Amino acid sequence: MPLWIGPMNAHLNGHKELTSHNEIVTVKPKGEVYIPLSNGNNAAVEVLVKEGDKVKVGTLLAKRSVPFVVPIYSSVSGTVGVVKSMMHAVMRPCDHLVIVSDGKFEKAQSFSPIDYTSATRDELVDFIMNSGLMGCGGAGFPTYIKYKNPVNIHTLIINAVECEPYITADYRTMKEFLDDLIYGTKALLKASTAKEAIIAIKKNKVEVCTKIQALLANEPQIKLFMTPDKYPMGWERTLVYEFTHKRYDKLPSEIGVIVNNATTAIALAQSLKYGSAIDEKIITFSGDGLKHPVNVKVPYGTTVKEIVEAIGGYSAEDVLVIAGGPMMGKTIPTDNFVITSYSNAITILKTTPQEAIPCMRCGRCNDTCPAGLLPVRINNAEAVADLDLIVKLAADQCIECGMCSYICPSRIDVTEGVRRAKRALMLRKK
Amino acid sequence: MKFTFRVSPNYRQPLSTQWIMTELTLCIAVVLGYNVVYYYLNPNLGPEYAIHALSMIATSLVVAIGTEALWAKFYAKKPVLKYLTQSFPWVTALLFVGMMGVNKPLYVIIVGSLVSTLIGKLIFGGFGQNIFNPAGVGRAFSVLAFGGFIASQFPDVVTGATPNQVMESLGWVITKPEAVTAYLNQFNGLWGLFSGQYVGAIGETNTLLIMLVGLYLSVRKIIDWRVPVVFIASLFTFATIIMYFKGMGWWYPIFSISTGGAMFGAVFMLTDPVTSPTSIPGRIIFAIGVAFLATLIRVKGHLPEGVIRSILFMNMVTPLIDRGLDGWPLKAMKKYAFTIGTVFAVSLLTVSFTATTISYKEPYVPEDSIPNLGDPILFSTLPTAGNVNIVSTTVTGDITTFVIETKGHAYEAEWETDPKPNVIEVKINTVTKTIVSVTFVTYHDTASLQYATSHPVFLKQFDGLSIIVDNSVDVVIGATFTTDSVIRAVNAAIAAVLTPQ
Ligand code: SF4
Ligand code: SF4
Repeated sequence: MPLWIGPMNAHLNGHKELTSHNEIVTVKPKGEVYIPLSNGNNAAVEVLVKEGDKVKVGTLLAKRSVPFVVPIYSSVSGTVGVVKSMMHAVMRPCDHLVIVSDGKFEKAQSFSPIDYTSATRDELVDFIMNSGLMGCGGAGFPTYIKYKNPVNIHTLIINAVECEPYITADYRTMKEFLDDLIYGTKALLKASTAKEAIIAIKKNKVEVCTKIQALLANEPQIKLFMTPDKYPMGWERTLVYEFTHKRYDKLPSEIGVIVNNATTAIALAQSLKYGSAIDEKIITFSGDGLKHPVNVKVPYGTTVKEIVEAIGGYSAEDVLVIAGGPMMGKTIPTDNFVITSYSNAITILKTTPQEAIPCMRCGRCNDTCPAGLLPVRINNAEAVADLDLIVKLAADQCIECGMCSYICPSRIDVTEGVRRAKRALMLRKK
Repeated sequence: MKFTFRVSPNYRQPLSTQWIMTELTLCIAVVLGYNVVYYYLNPNLGPEYAIHALSMIATSLVVAIGTEALWAKFYAKKPVLKYLTQSFPWVTALLFVGMMGVNKPLYVIIVGSLVSTLIGKLIFGGFGQNIFNPAGVGRAFSVLAFGGFIASQFPDVVTGATPNQVMESLGWVITKPEAVTAYLNQFNGLWGLFSGQYVGAIGETNTLLIMLVGLYLSVRKIIDWRVPVVFIASLFTFATIIMYFKGMGWWYPIFSISTGGAMFGAVFMLTDPVTSPTSIPGRIIFAIGVAFLATLIRVKGHLPEGVIRSILFMNMVTPLIDRGLDGWPLKAMKKYAFTIGTVFAVSLLTVSFTATTISYKEPYVPEDSIPNLGDPILFSTLPTAGNVNIVSTTVTGDITTFVIETKGHAYEAEWETDPKPNVIEVKINTVTKTIVSVTFVTYHDTASLQYATSHPVFLKQFDGLSIIVDNSVDVVIGATFTTDSVIRAVNAAIAAVLTPQ
């Protein structure tokens, strides 16, 4: 890295010890679960069941086909209720399908399992599509898209970095299902047409690293890649750069790389083996706002409120409920929203007073922005509404990773300023 | 239950601006503290100087904090304590006083600290808004308002010319080995120069200590290490070029980074975030720019202390640098490399060209660096006999001519194995009781000081002075041991005239 650009990352205190070693708690919803029908983007969805229908775990409930095919499966067994609008983890209300759980959790086979070794690549990609697998980017981008037309792909990176503070869900899931990780990786490797797969994991997770290393002894196509303990090492661009020392424009496939999350590989392995869609997830509930931070295993569609109650409640009267980790996760001003099939954490922090002081132009935000932008300049340009300058400063490239606010010693909401600049750009485009 | 909403991220690094400023303050305090202790332990100075240095520091602090407090209360109309803890006036105060010599009277500090805070910072809108380095503004103002040689606080002050002022008087080129040694020996050699074994500004002299402090601040990520490193490396490179063209030794580049507040500027002044560019390439260009200008100002501008002026100038172009580098850095790496390279190359060429145009100056002393005979002081307080020896007395009418040997600086300096006295001729009119003239017969002290002390302008100051003013002589303060030796000679002559045989 040349000396005239900053490190573009930083070490964060992860607080991972809060949840990395204690027991995983299983929480089963007692009454209703709410299955989100969209991601708040109001994409057309075709509901395939009627109010009063009996469903089982794994019953196909609905299907979205625009812009991508996303089947939605039930996570509990019980009776279908009404469609109801409620808050979603993306901080926008959207339609949820109510299922009244019968508490039995009877399973139905969602689709027939296949053997990826004998299936053709196309069959495998179709299988991924039908399983409803989604990336963990929060945007709920379906996994199969990346594998539709792979061109000149040489490396598949399985991302097990999990760089957000507090979150240990991926780590715990991996530890539980190491075999599935390898199995899923091999399946994705086939779908990707790449020659080799890399499992990228932070080097401080020694225990899991050694175990994976042992399992990889007879898997010549898969390698372990240990990354530094830096944020946002789990972001596609940072990770791909760390491994290939190359940068790309829009998608990693431009330089022959596909990146997929480790939990996605595991979920795929389980779907392949058992013919079931994702119904449960390991979710980290952590932060100083909880009495007992812990990883929970819950059916998706369960409300945060119910889970927090089940694990011992809040430790303060005034808390921030964050869907995701504290860096990129959004604060939701209620706990009445549900875990989605691609959630990985809920962070609950005590609300502490925080006051910004004037910017001292120290440039720390510039030096650490992982997208290589100049956040303080974008903020300055936004303050005087200089749209041309905002364009020149490439504000649209911001991934809202939160680094600039994190690093700012004057406690300025730098990221929010960049967001405002991005919004101003969007408005102009319209 | 209350569920508060706040924009993400909701995670902040432990390092806060308040803490950055606290550590910075402590680091400046360490550097100033060194000098206070050095004055205390130095046999030529002693507690009096240490106390004066402390009063300077205290004065500067009180003035800066007081000014901001009043500003907060009556102008900004904000809670005073909160305003102060978000504005850090003490940092400016300490930096300003660090650049002032210990011989400065307190009124200079009061005015300078006030100007730093008010003009340098508050009228721009306070912390974060100012364009110029506030301490630099105060320092530049003091030089303009009170002159380089501000009236001294101490009659017997040993704080003579600073290394750069002496160097300036020599045209920035010394090649003869004896002259180099003589020059450096005034500051206890190159090592003494580097490690602050001489008297100068109360924060600037100990290059070594400031370097260590800078290292600490870099490791702690309080300052960006690139700024001091690029600045010092550039200054060193430019000096090396001059050294090469003029056939000087390696002492020259080392001298160049050890004096004139170079290291103090590098670690504390250039790294001021508010007044330097916000991007890394910007800060690199900024640092090269200051080094380049400081080099030029030193060798061509006839202004010895160029670092502060250069910083102030580069502060002015900071907004331009920021503007010029606006873009998407990740996509502009080549452009940045090219820009930095170009700036450095142009500076290098200019310095090389300049180096060919400068040469060793025959003793020329700019008028304002000649020790001046400040306020009248009592005859009895002057250093007198012991070291003087009247060699001959010739009476020609009203005029009596004394030839006097007097032990000068050579006797104080440990490195002189065979010190010889200066020989001075003093003519006194015994009727009008005035000094007619003072001239050097032979000079045996440190070569470089000779130019100041034996300079006609210096010696001319004695002419016509009355030798009786209520039993006192209305001369003389000196600036160095050598001036003392002149004064001793004059005193001996006066004593000889006033004491009946
Ligand atoms: S939030 Fe955007 S601007 Fe800020 S550091 Fe992250 S990518 Fe850069
Ligand atoms: S980190 Fe904060 S104080 Fe520093 S330049 Fe960025 S916004 Fe300003």
